[in-house]
Amino acid sequence: MQDPYEILGVARAATQDEIRKAYHRLAKKLHPDLNPGDKSSENRFKEVASAYDLLSDDEKRRRFDSGEIDASGAEAPREKYYRDYAGANGQAYESRSGYADFADTDDFLAEIFRRQARRARGSDLHYSLGVDFLDAVNGATKRITLPEGGSLDVTITAGLQQGQVLRLRGKGAPSPGDGEAGDALVEISIHPHPFFTRHGDNIHLDLPVTFAEAVLGAEIKTPTPDGPVILTAPKGSNSGTVLRLKGKGVPRVGGRGDLMVKLKIMAPTEPDSELEAFLTAWAPTNYQPRRDMLS
Amino acid sequence: MIINRLEFLARADLDGRTLDAWIEEEWLLPSRPEDELAFSEADLARARLIRDLTDRLGVNAEGVGVALHLLDQIHGLRRAMAEVLATIHRQSHRSD
Repeated sequence: MQDPYEILGVARAATQDEIRKAYHRLAKKLHPDLNPGDKSSENRFKEVASAYDLLSDDEKRRRFDSGEIDASGAEAPREKYYRDYAGANGQAYESRSGYADFADTDDFLAEIFRRQARRARGSDLHYSLGVDFLDAVNGATKRITLPEGGSLDVTITAGLQQGQVLRLRGKGAPSPGDGEAGDALVEISIHPHPFFTRHGDNIHLDLPVTFAEAVLGAEIKTPTPDGPVILTAPKGSNSGTVLRLKGKGVPRVGGRGDLMVKLKIMAPTEPDSELEAFLTAWAPTNYQPRRDMLS
Repeated sequence: MIINRLEFLARADLDGRTLDAWIEEEWLLPSRPEDELAFSEADLARARLIRDLTDRLGVNAEGVGVALHLLDQIHGLRRAMAEVLATIHRQSHRSD
């Protein structure tokens, strides 16, 4: 990097005030946003900024003057300048007052601008929509009431994902001319369900069962996203046994995921003297569930 | 990409009162779906430009309004010029 004094065009003995004035004068000339068409201004602006960064700090300047540090103290890189966005379509800030007089008097220009205004697309509008778990799985139609009045019907397709953004063509802001309207972008957030959880295309469910249902096997009425079905728990099931209900998960292309039902044995919550008496008397020799942990 | 008010304040390194003043001055025009302000990346870059003008270039509040007004016209002109050039190119191709 060049000598910071040279970059700012100040003498080595310049005062802080002179340095600041020199920087302001150059920065005003070189700031990329004040030179929207000049790509080279950005590099020169950065040089000037880091030269100023160095010389405006007395300590850094002293160390530079005595040769302790060199001039490469880099300016933190800027992500983007405003000019990088200003050219994009539908800039809300842009003004045509700089050429309105030409457009009003010159037929050639007026025609071009008329066409441009006709084509200009309306801007996109953003919304967020909370959806119940089952509506996201099964599909539904939801209505958003718009702040500016009116409403918007949103079709929730079955199998919608958390955070997905739905684009409703032409439901955004109208065009300022005769162009097409912008789009409405609806971001979906799915409310959690009290007992279903979603894992990709599958849905998981913890299903409480009784001792008897697990040990003896049973036909158990089990909730699924599209209504209860009968689940057959085989004899000798246990807490943690996972049973698959095929095709009862989340709809996807060419079918549906599965519902994974994990059994959970629930002891009675009320004390039961009959059960206590039975368990006290019941002493099988080979029933040691923690054997693997403790050996 | 939508940026909400809190995130915008953090990323632009601004305090709430300054932001309100800038919106009041119409230096920034965030959109307002559902009562809440929604900012774009362009709004963020514009906020950084305003900060540069005031903090680094020594422009005072009146000057910022003037600078933004002229800049918005320049961007309008740049787009108009691009449009005119594109039209001329199309027509010269047609007459070839």
